[in-house]
Amino acid sequence: MSKFISIAWRNLWRNKRRTLITAASVFFGVFFSVMMTSMQKGSFENMISNMAKFYSGYIQIQESNFKETPSVNNSFVLSKKLTKAINSNEDITSSTKRIETFALASNEEKSYPSFLLGIEPDKENLKSGLSKYIDEGSFIENGSNDILVGSILAKNLNVGVGDSLILLGQGYHGVSAVGIYKINGLLDFPLPDLSKQVIYMDLANCQEFSSLPSSITSNVIMVNNTGKITEVMSYLQTYIGDKEVIYSWQDLMPEILNLVEGKESSGAMVKFLLFMIIGFGVWSTIMMMMNERQRELGVMIAIGFQKGKLLFMMLVESAFIGIIGVISGIIVSYPIFYYLFKNPIVLTGEMAETYESMGFEAKLAFSVSPEIFYNPAITIMIIFMIVSLYQIYYVARLNVVKSLKS
Amino acid sequence: MNVIEIKSLTKIYNGGEVKVKAVNGIDINFKQGEFTAVVGPSGSGKTTFLNMLGGLDRPTSGEVIIGGVNVWGLSSRQLIDFRMNNIGFVFQSYNLIPVLTAGENVEFIMQLQGKPKKERDLRTKELLEAVGIGDRIKSRPSKLSGGQQQRVAVARALASKPEFILADEPTANLDSSSTTSLLELMSQMNKKFNTTFIFATHDQRVMDKARRIVTIEDGKILSDEYFDRE
Ligand SMILES: Nc1ncnc2c1ncn2[C@@H]1O[C@H](COP(=O)(O)OP(=O)(O)O)[C@@H](O)[C@H]1O
Ligand SMILES: [Mg+2]
Repeated sequence: MSKFISIAWRNLWRNKRRTLITAASVFFGVFFSVMMTSMQKGSFENMISNMAKFYSGYIQIQESNFKETPSVNNSFVLSKKLTKAINSNEDITSSTKRIETFALASNEEKSYPSFLLGIEPDKENLKSGLSKYIDEGSFIENGSNDILVGSILAKNLNVGVGDSLILLGQGYHGVSAVGIYKINGLLDFPLPDLSKQVIYMDLANCQEFSSLPSSITSNVIMVNNTGKITEVMSYLQTYIGDKEVIYSWQDLMPEILNLVEGKESSGAMVKFLLFMIIGFGVWSTIMMMMNERQRELGVMIAIGFQKGKLLFMMLVESAFIGIIGVISGIIVSYPIFYYLFKNPIVLTGEMAETYESMGFEAKLAFSVSPEIFYNPAITIMIIFMIVSLYQIYYVARLNVVKSLKS
Repeated sequence: MNVIEIKSLTKIYNGGEVKVKAVNGIDINFKQGEFTAVVGPSGSGKTTFLNMLGGLDRPTSGEVIIGGVNVWGLSSRQLIDFRMNNIGFVFQSYNLIPVLTAGENVEFIMQLQGKPKKERDLRTKELLEAVGIGDRIKSRPSKLSGGQQQRVAVARALASKPEFILADEPTANLDSSSTTSLLELMSQMNKKFNTTFIFATHDQRVMDKARRIVTIEDGKILSDEYFDRE
């Protein structure tokens, strides 16, 4: 057995150049596949975590009709029972109440539609570090009467810190909601879409604006690990009232999920082509390896090698190529992408603008999810398994007399 | 005692429209310790005959019985093991596994047979010394001359303690001095171990060493003569 492996190993280095080139092609396949996936997944994870942080949360509790008809009429009061359940769950890192509504924001000259969020400033800040994104002015305190405005919205309205905005919206049961609010700070989010439309005010202030009693439209929950989402959701399920519904971020932002899936499938297509090319390279190497040794294989069978042993030897030899390529690919790529995961590349200049115009944070984030590394390894394994079918066929068909004559 | 019994052995190749009777009904026996040359012009059927005799090429009809076993009645797996244990092969060239040293080439066949390490090492050394290249035991075949490679091949063929050794034109690629010494070696081994040798050749020098000469033409035995050599 070990003799067969030793022969396979020595055979591998009979044509050093070809072996190295083939192993290198596997290496680059793994490396580029990891690079592509790490970058893509990283940017999605970054976007999703940003969206979850600033907007949806990982889990939300809403009134059952709110998703369909996002109006303050579809609001609810967070029960004591539910609050207690939330507070006692260890996987929940934060829970904050919100009112989400729409308002027309205007000054004397211009009006823009805005996305008005009534928040608990201290909790919201704890959850998302919102105050870090204050570009000008300062954050609002709990109970403040002032507002925070997205920087792009403010620019569009041509207002700044200290100026006032008139907000016009629809209150509870069709009551018209109107108020004049002073701008306390401008927010520059890593998500340009938010900067374009968001206005924050204190929850109580917003309840007054919307003529809401003590109710809210949503309660936003963060968990310590995205893997815990379903578990926490089913935990909460037993505590909610019959007019309330629990959603995950995927339910709330289906368009992001679509985007992610769309990009992932186009990425998969590129990777498929990449691996097809590598697969053909591997196949032709192995084909050459077998064909040029036809006579030798014939001699071996003649003197007493069972075909099974011969095949085993050939398979071990080709597996060596795959193993060398895959292991070196992972050994080289893991530290690189781990570093980039810890130290994302912040983009500047035109690149940054391009990214922001597409709704992404101007940052190249990377992911080191384990599947990024083992998926290409599995793919390479499958390629070698397919190629091994050729080897099985070749050895099964090998005719001693013909081989000896070659 | 007959080591090999061959009964109306025939091989017909279907070469497109024409059928070639490469071997055409050969009946012959070989005894223990014989040193036989199968001679005949190129294309007369020597290789085909030896391959059927060696369990490599399936006859169209006829029987090959070695040590009482009907060789072509065995399954292909059994046949491979049968060859390993009963027949030693020396081909024209490139007999050896290139990535194994001379010693390993000889030893490996015994390893396949499941012989213990100690016995293998001893016999490898003994055989390589007997064929005159005991000092090249660690050399890869590519570092050996053609004549030396054939000597290792003879040692390997002997290693498995076979009933007989088949050699198809073993000297065809050798110069005349290597040819003479390889012949000398085979004849020595034949005497020393009483191993039966059957070799195909059309080299007069090789024939001169044989104690039995079987002449084949058009797949048939033309003559079968015994000679006394000193
Ligand atoms: N695979 C084959 N297909 C068709 N004809 C063959 C094949 N092998 C050998 N022959 C023919 O059989 C005859 C005997 O060949 P061979 O046994 O190689 O003769 P030798 O070894 O004496 O030169 C030749 O006519 C040769 O052309
Ligand atoms: Mg021949």
